Amino acid sequence: MTPGQVLLFTVGGLSNAAYLFIVAAGLSLVFGALRVINMAHGSLYMIAAFVTVVIANQLGAGLGFWGGLLVAVAVAGAIGGVVEVLVLRRVYGREHLVQLLGTYAVSLVVAGGVRIVFGPNYRTVASPIPGHLDLAGYSYASYSLFMIAGAIVIGAGVWTMLYRTNLGRNIRAAVSDPDLLNATGVNVTRLYTTVFVIGAGLAGLGGSIVAPSQAVGSSIDTDVLVLAFAISVIGGLGSIVGSAVGALIVGMVISFGLVIPQTNPFALAFVFIIMTAVLIVRPRGLFGRPES
Amino acid sequence: MVLLALFVAAVPPLAGQYENLNPDASSRYLIFLGTSALVLALWAISYNLMLGYTGMVSFAHAAYFGVGAYALALIFKRYQLPFFVALAAAPAVGAIVGLITGLVALRAVRLYFSLLTLAISQLLFSIVFQWYDFTGGDNGISITLPDQLNDYTTLYYFTAAVVVVCLLLMFVIVRSPFGAALLSIRENRDRAASIGINVRAYELAVYTVASLFAGVAGGLFIMYQQQAYPEMLYWTANAQPVVVSLLGGTSTFLGPAVGALIYVALDNAIAKQFPYQFDIILGAIVLGVVLAVPGGISDAPSVFLRLRERFHRGEKAEAPAAESTGEAIRMIDVRKALESEAIQAEAVHSGKMLLRLENLSKRFGGLRAVDDVSLEVRQGDRHAIIGPNGAGKSTLFNLITGRLKPSAGKVTFDGREITGKPPHVIARTGIGRAFQITTIFPKLTVRQNLQYAMLAHGGYTMRPFGVANRMFRNEAQELVEAVGLGPWADLPAGQLSHGDQRAIEIAISLALGSKLVLLDEPTAGMSAYETDKAMELVRRLATERHLTLLFCEHDMAVVFTTARTITVMHQGRVLTAGTPDEIRRNPDVQKVYLGELEEEELGA
Repeated sequence: MTPGQVLLFTVGGLSNAAYLFIVAAGLSLVFGALRVINMAHGSLYMIAAFVTVVIANQLGAGLGFWGGLLVAVAVAGAIGGVVEVLVLRRVYGREHLVQLLGTYAVSLVVAGGVRIVFGPNYRTVASPIPGHLDLAGYSYASYSLFMIAGAIVIGAGVWTMLYRTNLGRNIRAAVSDPDLLNATGVNVTRLYTTVFVIGAGLAGLGGSIVAPSQAVGSSIDTDVLVLAFAISVIGGLGSIVGSAVGALIVGMVISFGLVIPQTNPFALAFVFIIMTAVLIVRPRGLFGRPES
Repeated sequence: MVLLALFVAAVPPLAGQYENLNPDASSRYLIFLGTSALVLALWAISYNLMLGYTGMVSFAHAAYFGVGAYALALIFKRYQLPFFVALAAAPAVGAIVGLITGLVALRAVRLYFSLLTLAISQLLFSIVFQWYDFTGGDNGISITLPDQLNDYTTLYYFTAAVVVVCLLLMFVIVRSPFGAALLSIRENRDRAASIGINVRAYELAVYTVASLFAGVAGGLFIMYQQQAYPEMLYWTANAQPVVVSLLGGTSTFLGPAVGALIYVALDNAIAKQFPYQFDIILGAIVLGVVLAVPGGISDAPSVFLRLRERFHRGEKAEAPAAESTGEAIRMIDVRKALESEAIQAEAVHSGKMLLRLENLSKRFGGLRAVDDVSLEVRQGDRHAIIGPNGAGKSTLFNLITGRLKPSAGKVTFDGREITGKPPHVIARTGIGRAFQITTIFPKLTVRQNLQYAMLAHGGYTMRPFGVANRMFRNEAQELVEAVGLGPWADLPAGQLSHGDQRAIEIAISLALGSKLVLLDEPTAGMSAYETDKAMELVRRLATERHLTLLFCEHDMAVVFTTARTITVMHQGRVLTAGTPDEIRRNPDVQKVYLGELEEEELGA
């Protein structure tokens, strides 16, 4: 492999990692604060992707895309809020499998709804940032580089929100003792809704951002969900830094796995082998903390 | 069950009649639907062994179903082996793959177990999907049945016969002592371990058994579909057995079978014209069950039970709702308890060393919860551990029973070192335990709580045959009556009042025939009268049955009337130990307790 190729696949891995990180960070944030695995996370991602594509194609690729992105994130967040209030509130504190099945049911409903509204066909949208960058004999889509930069900004934003704001302090306090936090006058019910809406918004943002670089169809919900699980589990559920590291690992494994002919068929299998290995050696993931 | 069997047998003739009456309908298609309902029923019931009976959510069950189908196809088609060899290979391969992957998945518990099964499922899927030369990749694989099975009615009866045999086998399993162990695990993992059940081994066993039957179902599936495809293994395919189980109810054995029937009917009526609406309906059903069922998934109401109730309505009067009064302890019959054969300990000469703790320590981060504790309990002793809140008493109990691993030190029981051994192993060496927070099997009846403890203690829970509810029934009933719970023997233990649940808790620890019984604040939450009554029982049992007691307690009256030896703990360390008289006179002890009193008075 030439240095040029290494760079090519590294950038490919980074842009995989970029959108996967955004999605997984949302999943992980929700798990960290609410102790709920959101099986409908991929559904929010899918809705946002469809909304973005439809709006961008209506209004024209440039400005239309950015408008679509904003609407899509808002839609995903709003649906997240409804799901939290109508479903999750009734299952907090119950066994994990009740929460798994509850959010799983939501994902079935959303999947059906999306297919009714948007139809079964794959859709695509033109990149809002056309153009290429040529480097060491290969050309790189500007949009991929934008995605990588975007993920870094969002990661920094989430980190700042968690560790530098009141909201973040409350979220972290809710992780360790929601009852005590409630007793200090914080409305934990509303806090949970906020966290879930943020998580849903991140899923939407991921779906929106990835739309120009992938075909959007009605099965992308489960495809991304299973990768987001792998990432959060490898990095440690509830850890934002863990999500970033997990996304890098998974993004690179997929990128390099796919281009080496001998490993091509099993690139995805590697992801799950790593996930299994991490769960066995470090059951709470690379950066996870034990559940209290 | 008989009705269902008759119905199953009658499907092809009925379908034929239907075709005669209505020329548009095809009997062939109806029989095909019947076959698919049977296979789905088998698959879902095998899933429910985990979901409903053991409380495990697996995302890999579809993989074993797919593996079974592929095993049959590959062995029959590629290796040209006789068809029945291939059919027999389906469950065998399913079980082997289930066992190997189960070993990996069960390194984790609960949620992390579910996530591991997800990874395993995707791993198996990618192998089947990508290994083009062997499995045919995304084209799948198709077979042609041998002639003698290639008639749809014959195939239906063949499938029905296999499914019925499998259901009978599974039915035997869930009623057996092994099934009782599974229920105990579902109800309360900690309690199950403390009555001597090796939780992980049983989970692995049921995971493997479920994979085996999923393999059978997969084999039958490819027989009537005549093809297998990689999507069968994709993790989302697990939706089917989950939805079917919830639809029919996870709380009864045949619930999922009824669910399968409903599912196939719905699928046929709706999914053909409105495939997307079907997803929404399924989602709504699952959501409805999840939100409507207060307890847990294992409570999912059974359509089957309701139908039966409807049939039998009017035949028998509604049983009066028994209510526990919380006064069971007042009805304790000590004499009866003493006669109960369930409570036994070897009559060994008093004074033999039974439990020895040497320099036992447990640190949580910087906190030394238990700090260099050494302690000896002799056979026949009634040893109390006292000390203010936070002295480390409960942590010490957790170290002895294996719930926590000591940071340093040694625990020897009855001449064997048991330091850091898992709880079920320690329970089996003869240490019974009553927890401070009431820990029982809430959905099992009061009698079953004791019966299952006796089964586990007797080492019967490995047995996959026999009827658990008929074993130790009389012994358990005796003990239930002895502890005053006779009228509520058939009530789910979780419905009893707090005081009555304490009585069950104490009875369970006694039912284990333990040499040493650990009681963590046995009288917490009891009135003075109840306390007297309960402790009289414990004392007399200890004396006449040669039980050795180690208990911690805040009620000093209880301590000084019951204990022969007292150890005082303070801030994780042993302050002093001695006879009740020595302790009463010890100024240090007075200071510790007085100090606490002052703090309490100051409101600190």
